[in-house]
Amino acid sequence: MTIDQPPTAPRPELNRRNLMKASGLAGLGLSLAACGRGFGGGGEGGDGTELNMVWWGDSKRAEKTRAALDLFEEAHSGVTIKTEYQDSGPYQDKLATRFAAGDEPDLMAMRMDSLREYADRGALLDLNEHADAVDLSGLSENARNLATVGDSVFGVPAGLNAIGFIVNRTVTDRYGIEIPDGDTWSWDDLAAFAKEVTDASGGEVYGTGFEPATLANIVVYTRQRGEDFFTEDGELGITAETVQAWFEMVEAMRQEGGFPPAGFFEQIGGGPEQSYIATGDLASQIIPTNNFLGYNQAAGGNLALLRIPGETQGVRRGQSVDCPHLWSIAAESEHKDEALQLLDFLVNDVDASKATGTTRGVPADSEVAEELKPSLEPDDQVATEYLIGLLGEDLPRSYTYPPGGSAIADALAAIAVEVEFGRQSAADGAAEFISQAEEALAQ
Amino acid sequence: MTAPTDATTVREAVPASAAPRRFTVRGPGRERRRRRRDRAGYLFLLPWFIGMLFTIVPFFASLYLAFTDYNLLNDPKWIGLENFAEMFRDENLHQALKVTFIYSFVSVPLSLAAALGVAMVLNRGIRALPVYRAVFYLPSLLGASVAVVLLWRYIFGLDGIVNGFLGWFGIDGPAWTSDPDYALTTLIILHVWTFGSPMVIFLAGLRQIPAMYYEAAAVDGASKWRRFRSITLPLLSPIIFFNLIQSLIASFQTFTQGFVMNNGGGGPANSTLFYNLYLYQQGFNQFHMGYASAMAWTLLVIIAAFTALTFFTAKYWVHYDN
Repeated sequence: MTIDQPPTAPRPELNRRNLMKASGLAGLGLSLAACGRGFGGGGEGGDGTELNMVWWGDSKRAEKTRAALDLFEEAHSGVTIKTEYQDSGPYQDKLATRFAAGDEPDLMAMRMDSLREYADRGALLDLNEHADAVDLSGLSENARNLATVGDSVFGVPAGLNAIGFIVNRTVTDRYGIEIPDGDTWSWDDLAAFAKEVTDASGGEVYGTGFEPATLANIVVYTRQRGEDFFTEDGELGITAETVQAWFEMVEAMRQEGGFPPAGFFEQIGGGPEQSYIATGDLASQIIPTNNFLGYNQAAGGNLALLRIPGETQGVRRGQSVDCPHLWSIAAESEHKDEALQLLDFLVNDVDASKATGTTRGVPADSEVAEELKPSLEPDDQVATEYLIGLLGEDLPRSYTYPPGGSAIADALAAIAVEVEFGRQSAADGAAEFISQAEEALAQ
Repeated sequence: MTAPTDATTVREAVPASAAPRRFTVRGPGRERRRRRRDRAGYLFLLPWFIGMLFTIVPFFASLYLAFTDYNLLNDPKWIGLENFAEMFRDENLHQALKVTFIYSFVSVPLSLAAALGVAMVLNRGIRALPVYRAVFYLPSLLGASVAVVLLWRYIFGLDGIVNGFLGWFGIDGPAWTSDPDYALTTLIILHVWTFGSPMVIFLAGLRQIPAMYYEAAAVDGASKWRRFRSITLPLLSPIIFFNLIQSLIASFQTFTQGFVMNNGGGGPANSTLFYNLYLYQQGFNQFHMGYASAMAWTLLVIIAAFTALTFFTAKYWVHYDN
């Protein structure tokens, strides 16, 4: 095949065959070019600097983020920011492969439970070494601790959130049921409330329902019992007794009817619109508070936001302020200074936070959060107040997820189903979880 | 690109005698057409060649990685056969193998039988055959897609259509997709439903069987079943063989169904943890890319073994027309 036409060769006839050949060549050229540029990598754009920034999320979040980045680009001429985003699942895969290919983004969204997978392998920039570039003084100690490993800080919370209990007032009003006081209710109160709803509705609506296997949920319960799910040195802190008690508590509610029967929850994702509280099957459930607006809209706009039960009865407080989304900088970034500037801007600039709102949670800097609050929609204000309330309280510190955390989440998910369907007793399930979790951490 | 002038020069150069001249004139012309045809062929292959470049390197890289401890972020460390030794100890992997084998050995025969059955019905010369063919083929296009799995949630959910139907008969249906005892069964049913592509191939095969065999058999008084067993099956056996190999290889590599079923988890209780899904979890969720590579090569060996086995048995049941 004569792919290479020497420059002096007579101009080829314009016919179908040559066109095909030309298009084949063009295709080859394009794909080679794409290969050379890397998978969406950030090269130099003209004479300025091009930062590559990636996160997971939807187009709404992208719009808000872009608005903040525009402000930054205006203030820093010569810096352009190239962004990419997708759903969190594919995002994780792509981020890992980009690091593997040596084509890491400059600034990236990092999941709490992946932080140490990257940080322990030297892939992320230690922000403590650049303390003068990014001002973290406005962050509460808890917020700063979220991404602290030893003496190093590998990320800044892009926003803070917590989990909360939402209750649909429309349902409770319909059956004339009183919602317990959300600051002081106990797990027993929840069980009684749930049973009351189910009974009053004749089984039309279940009183409550949540995933016992979701780490965020069991973590609160664990902390209330005076244990840490993961300890400071990255070991497993939760005991088999706690896992068993957790399973048994849920199964007891299921027995009484307040909690839906085994197999009720379909393991197929979906946002607030597909949630069981929106479909009217549940009167209450646990959500991450930064999604309160979405759930309230989907569920008819009459949701109450309560704390997790058991906060005043346990050995200590169980709730913690978490972060759905950290910002981290790649250790190998070629534009560290600009990336640090951008990070500082996102964390400390009020206008940046006004542009992004609470799409990633409440701003980690409490002053920024206070200034932001009035400009938020009422639903977001409810969630923000809830979080600011927690921030002001003395909550025990939570520790970063050790590597192997995702295998532990998988193990808990599998065992919780075994217990749910009675294929395993709560005690056996708890013992097996501990042994599998310890094995995952040992690897 | 000198071919165009050849014909004329040859014609002028070769002297008088008519027959050989015609021969020599046509020779280079045919050659030219052949070359032109070849060139078109290569052009059509071009995308494949380009694709190959992107496949062949990772292909051999993964062979190397299979013998390393590789977490994607640091350089791979050579650990010899340790990954393969780990596979013998890894209970989740054994679960994944079990799931994959059950799925393959149950769903492949069932879906082939369904495909053959529908193909035979369609082959009886119904009107609007293309319409039916398209309708039956549709699920195969959608089969593994996310939308259909979501749709199945409404069909197979605890309060779904199936259980509503069973409820009329007083049967309390299970949670088809979230009960670990039923989830894999549900996926097998979903797979059987997507018999479109083997069906289309069967249909083509059935049309190749000369009607005279059936006529002769009918004259001899052979029953329908007898005709099916002694004419259809033997003459269709190469097609069955082809479909069997294709389906087997594809089913060993099942991924999407298990992925969508439980948010990428292979649940409930690992009951839909397909081999490829576990491989993906190991590689991309847990950063054990060396182990995942070792798993991939093991799967290749498993598939090759079963394909070889099928080929080996072929001589006892596949009849070629010669």
